[in-house]
Amino acid sequence: MTSTQSSGQGNSTLARAGDLSRRTLLGALGIGAVGATVGAWPRLTGADIPGRNSTALNVAILGTSADAAARQALVDEFTSLHPDIPVRIQAIQGADWRDFFSKILTMVAAGNPPDVVYVATEGAQLFAKKLAEPLDPYLTRDAADIQEYFQDVHPSLIEAFMYRGSLYQLPLDWNAANMYLNTSALQRAGLDRPADDWTNEDFTAVMRAMKSTTDGSFTPYYWTNRLFGGVVPWLYANDTSFLAEEKATGGDWFWDRFYSKDPTRSLRSGGYLWETPNAEDPRVIETFDYLRELVAEGLGVRPEGGGGNALVGLFASSRIGATPAGGYWVQGLHEAGMGADDFDVQFFPRWRTQRHQFGAAGYAIMRTAKDKDAAWEWVKFCASKPAMELAFPTPNTTPTRRSMVNQSLYASTGPEHWKVFYDTLDRFPTSGPIPAPPQQAAVETALMKNVSVAVSGSSAQVRSAMGSLQRDLELALRSNQ
Amino acid sequence: MSAPTLKTPSNPTTTAAPAARKRSTRQNKSMAERLIAPLFLAPTVIGMAIFTIVPILASVLLAFFRWDIISAPEFVGFSNFADIVSDPTVRVSFLNTIVFVIVAVTLQLGIAMVLAVAIQGRMPNWLRVFFRSAFFFPLILSAASVSIFMGYLFNEQFGVVNWMLSVVGVPAVPWLTTSGGAAAVVVLVYVWQNFGFSFLLFVGGLASIPKELHEASALDGATGWRQFVNVTLPLLSPTVLVASVMAIISALQVFDQPYVLTRGGPGDSTRTAVMVIFESAFQQLEFGRASAIGLVLMMLIMAITALQFRLSRRFVFYQ
Repeated sequence: MTSTQSSGQGNSTLARAGDLSRRTLLGALGIGAVGATVGAWPRLTGADIPGRNSTALNVAILGTSADAAARQALVDEFTSLHPDIPVRIQAIQGADWRDFFSKILTMVAAGNPPDVVYVATEGAQLFAKKLAEPLDPYLTRDAADIQEYFQDVHPSLIEAFMYRGSLYQLPLDWNAANMYLNTSALQRAGLDRPADDWTNEDFTAVMRAMKSTTDGSFTPYYWTNRLFGGVVPWLYANDTSFLAEEKATGGDWFWDRFYSKDPTRSLRSGGYLWETPNAEDPRVIETFDYLRELVAEGLGVRPEGGGGNALVGLFASSRIGATPAGGYWVQGLHEAGMGADDFDVQFFPRWRTQRHQFGAAGYAIMRTAKDKDAAWEWVKFCASKPAMELAFPTPNTTPTRRSMVNQSLYASTGPEHWKVFYDTLDRFPTSGPIPAPPQQAAVETALMKNVSVAVSGSSAQVRSAMGSLQRDLELALRSNQ
Repeated sequence: MSAPTLKTPSNPTTTAAPAARKRSTRQNKSMAERLIAPLFLAPTVIGMAIFTIVPILASVLLAFFRWDIISAPEFVGFSNFADIVSDPTVRVSFLNTIVFVIVAVTLQLGIAMVLAVAIQGRMPNWLRVFFRSAFFFPLILSAASVSIFMGYLFNEQFGVVNWMLSVVGVPAVPWLTTSGGAAAVVVLVYVWQNFGFSFLLFVGGLASIPKELHEASALDGATGWRQFVNVTLPLLSPTVLVASVMAIISALQVFDQPYVLTRGGPGDSTRTAVMVIFESAFQQLEFGRASAIGLVLMMLIMAITALQFRLSRRFVFYQ
């Protein structure tokens, strides 16, 4: 009895202890859960997302944290002029501009859009149509301050950022698809640098001569499959494009105010429009067939997608004879060990025209920007010459200001004919931007997938691929952007 | 007599009180027990609800809208589904995905099983550990990094693979710029990176087979291939089922390798279903269409998995 009682008491005591223990445990868990929730509240609510709830002007650029750090001098200079406008550079990594724009759009969807974004031609119309604020009222208000910038910048570069009569960006850097030539490959072939007005036939002859004097590890012409520097420069040279190019009306308020005395004033418009596929145009087919023959003859590679990351190294090691690129390549070749005389640059070959393709970039103010006036001050500051000198100390791109593209910029790097970079616009003022409508991503996907098929088979395959490209472009252009 | 009379009313009280306490304690305990289970499950359930269930439901809903992130969503009914049925790129991408799954999963499971059986043979333990680690190693690498690296190796002009072929007199192969070559490289890179997981499953499965069964079958004259087919494989069949289910689900979602290596090209030859989802959503800003394609893919995965489990009744042998 006693033992039973004591056993019962013991069980009861244990049970109570157990109950207490569980309660304690549950209490601790509850306190822990509440504590964790409180501690994680900024994370759960997204309040700790960089830039959110910040009063600073949030500027998004394509690049790494190193690129953001490299702009610190620019930020410091701006802060000294505008101490009331704190600036935060947000570097966003991306494989290419398309990837970068996707990430910006994701930030918009997340309710955390940047105030200002560095946008290249590839995304200019997407931003103009959907996201960016027109600069028109600011340009009108501060015309006297900004006049000096426009006097120094070629109007073709400005026109690339006009959309339906309004200007959305002030381009700061740009690059045309010129032709880089490997000096040692030319010398081996017994050739001099080609003439300024060389033709596509001359180009073929140069490539053949290069190939005949080298072994199988050398490729005369290397090109990549993308919107810039791929098939488009050849299409432009042949006076055509895979999208019909039109010009919007409007913009006279701007041109009359800032470029009234420019000799090319009559060429200017309210911006480019690419709304109709043109892939089955006979000249487009002719251009693709020319490139297909280059590939078939072993003069050019079958183009791969991407930005050609390995290209600088391959060119610097003289395994490539020629490739289309802009001034952005100079610093890379210099750092890869090429001397100023080891490479040179020439205009893109003439076909029916010698119209060049170019791309440019500048800051766009987002419609959602917290303080648009502050954002405009940043845009205006970055377009000033002192700021651009801080931003572009080396030739890893071509500044849009003509006065900055000078001997001192290329003194230690070459190439000898660096004047080709800016002369491209002066000699060929109809040179046009990358054909990038608001549906640029879908258009680029359609182009890339059909280019590789078109240049890898027979002549009949070119026609078939262009038919496919036409259908893909029709689908791309009808999408909701 | 009076005593019982006196005691009678008190007895039930005195005996009922502890019973009531016990019932109360039991009720309290059962209530506590009832609470404990949900409390312990809560973090997982909440996590699943927030990160899995709600997004799936949102995705189902989104499939009936046209939405570009920036503008307000617009209800379009079944139009996104009609679009994807009529879009040749979507059809080709699903066909590519199915062909990829058949080829890649067959290779992945085949190679993994051969190697798992091979390392069961006689060899020093350190060598066995080395092989296990070496075969598993690719799995821990980033698929994007591996694909970038492989892209260099298979470059037509400057890649190491073509250089090695040239040493033995084979002309350069356009690996990444022809349909067949690109598909082969994508499969190769995927299988190389993923067979290690199936391999580990098979190693575990083989280790769980009692040695006595092999010894008994050997006494009965079954050795080598016959022993493998009649003893090892049936006992390994549950592992084969798990490995194949996981491999097929994973392969149906292939993205990194074709995206980095070929961007889906040449043409659409290596474009997969998940690539089309990505392109629709994040490049063309057609999130409704992307959701619709995602739903179709999810249903395909569920159907194939259900079919596998149904068929497993015929070929899976549980000890």
